[in-house]
Amino acid sequence: MKVPWGLALRHVRTHWFRNMLTIGAVSVAVFLFCFLVSLIVTLDAQVEEASVDRLVVKSAVSLFVDLPLDYQTKIANVPGVELLTKWQWFGGYYQDPNTGFFAQFAVDVDPFFEMYENDIEILEAPAGATGDLRIAVRDAMRSEKRGALVGATIANKFGWKVGDTIPLICTIFPKTDGTPWDFKVLGIYGKKKQSIDDQTLFFRFDYFEDTVLGQGTMDSVGTGTFFVQVAPGASAKAIDDIDALFHNGPQRTKTTTEGAFMQGFVSMLGNLPLFLGTIGGAVVFAVFFSVVNAMLIAGRQRIRESGIMKALGFSNSAIGTLIVFESLLLTGLGGLLGIALTLGLERAAGPAIQGMFPNFGVEPRAILLGAAIALGIGVIAGIAPSLTLMRLRPTEALRSDG
Amino acid sequence: MSEFIELKQVTKTYTRGGETLRVLDALDLTIPHTDFVALMGPSGSGKTTILNIVGGLDRPDSGEVTVANETVSSLSESQLPGWRARHVGFVFQSFNLVPVLTAIENVMLPLLLTPLSRAERKKQAEFALEVVGLSDRMTHRPSQLSGGQEQRVAIARAIATDPDVIVADEPTGDLDRDTANSVMELLGRLNTELQKTIVMVTHDHVAAEQCKRILHLDKGTLVEGGPMGAGTGGSGAA
Repeated sequence: MKVPWGLALRHVRTHWFRNMLTIGAVSVAVFLFCFLVSLIVTLDAQVEEASVDRLVVKSAVSLFVDLPLDYQTKIANVPGVELLTKWQWFGGYYQDPNTGFFAQFAVDVDPFFEMYENDIEILEAPAGATGDLRIAVRDAMRSEKRGALVGATIANKFGWKVGDTIPLICTIFPKTDGTPWDFKVLGIYGKKKQSIDDQTLFFRFDYFEDTVLGQGTMDSVGTGTFFVQVAPGASAKAIDDIDALFHNGPQRTKTTTEGAFMQGFVSMLGNLPLFLGTIGGAVVFAVFFSVVNAMLIAGRQRIRESGIMKALGFSNSAIGTLIVFESLLLTGLGGLLGIALTLGLERAAGPAIQGMFPNFGVEPRAILLGAAIALGIGVIAGIAPSLTLMRLRPTEALRSDG
Repeated sequence: MSEFIELKQVTKTYTRGGETLRVLDALDLTIPHTDFVALMGPSGSGKTTILNIVGGLDRPDSGEVTVANETVSSLSESQLPGWRARHVGFVFQSFNLVPVLTAIENVMLPLLLTPLSRAERKKQAEFALEVVGLSDRMTHRPSQLSGGQEQRVAIARAIATDPDVIVADEPTGDLDRDTANSVMELLGRLNTELQKTIVMVTHDHVAAEQCKRILHLDKGTLVEGGPMGAGTGGSGAA
């Protein structure tokens, strides 16, 4: 089968305005699709990659109600519990509340480092550290009360290095003298799993507790959550046991797996994945119909030309292939442009987006899906006019005004 | 001259608006090699249908059509395009050039179906355009050419593949007298110098008189015909 491929290119060039609009529409659809799918994957990854053997204990009333610290000993005695750390939201910012806000948590250093051994990797440790960097940073934090472990992204953003002292202003637990809280960077971590947020600062709970209580403004401190590592397969029973333990306590608890806890955050945004997916799907459908319409118009304008080609001896399949190729050319170009836009946005505004959706990144599978959708639209949109042109007899086609 | 195109008992009917029209009625027709025949007759007499059947664009309901010793009527739908590409060159009233292609690209289009390389296709298209006197208009689009020039490009396209037969459907229909004469002169040269067998439908008596023979049709049958200058006597009708 011989196909005059150049003729399709010539048509694309000749009807450049209409084709630019089609390419533009496809590029916007592919861009939105890739972006939204990446966002959904980001949200889902935190849930999917969460450890099934890690539990989160929080107040049954609300995440914003602290649990008493003496719960820690009781939880530690629950059968199956292997590790346990407090996990208290700090809510500070660096220099500017708008641009310098990020997550900070007060944790128990030893169980924290052990619990997240397979989730985070230490990228930088104090100078002179040898051997296992994780141990080196843990030991450094044991001996430095203000010590902090900082995520690589946030360290890069603010230019922090190991050894730096960083002042954070905290509105929830402000210093009475108005000075900021000082933290000393003792380690910088990266993520071993996509779900791990490397934009967080972890510091010693006792630094938090002693500083707050030392000011005399609060009688006691609590913790928003306990993160609990249980033995493999012990999750279900441990959840029941922990919640039963405090059923009549001063604060009833709500214990969930880490995945369910993360899912709860995603749900707080409403059913965002479904919402985003619906928008992406609707845009793709709208563009699909617009491309089909454009190709049907192109097909109608190509009736006489197909008659000429048939008279010259081109086969029906060559004529059909030509218009599908033209359609693929348009949607393929649109797809490429859409993918370029997505990658460009990630490059230009990635940090800003990650501020709202930690770990956001354009997913390779979103790019592949976007490309597949663009090409799929091209094939389907090209098939309708190609079938019409293929079915026409040469004499009918030559009589057409198209 | 040997018989080159032969129609035996060819019948063709069309259904329009629920009514069946018998356009060709058991037509017998022979056209020798290197003949230049004008088909004339009133509208609906079957001229263009004969042209389409000879050119392999349409199939008869019954009867046999032979062109260059090949039984065209027995070819399948999928075989006909290839046969057309090898044996027939078409010239249409409204030129039917591809508007987005230049003159030389239009002429090169049917050559794509040959085994020629791109360079050879270009060379052959240039030669065909030279034959029709349009060497200086090769890179012009159809919209940049006059009607006569467009028809010359169409003729160049028709001869580019060196076909056995050229079928021309009212090739002078959209042209003024002078341009029509020059197109007819060109077709005459193709017939005499390149030995092309030409079958032409026309309503133009002046154009028809430049052919070797005129065949008259009415209601799907040949009513008269014969060599120019030999009067009418039906020698074209077998």
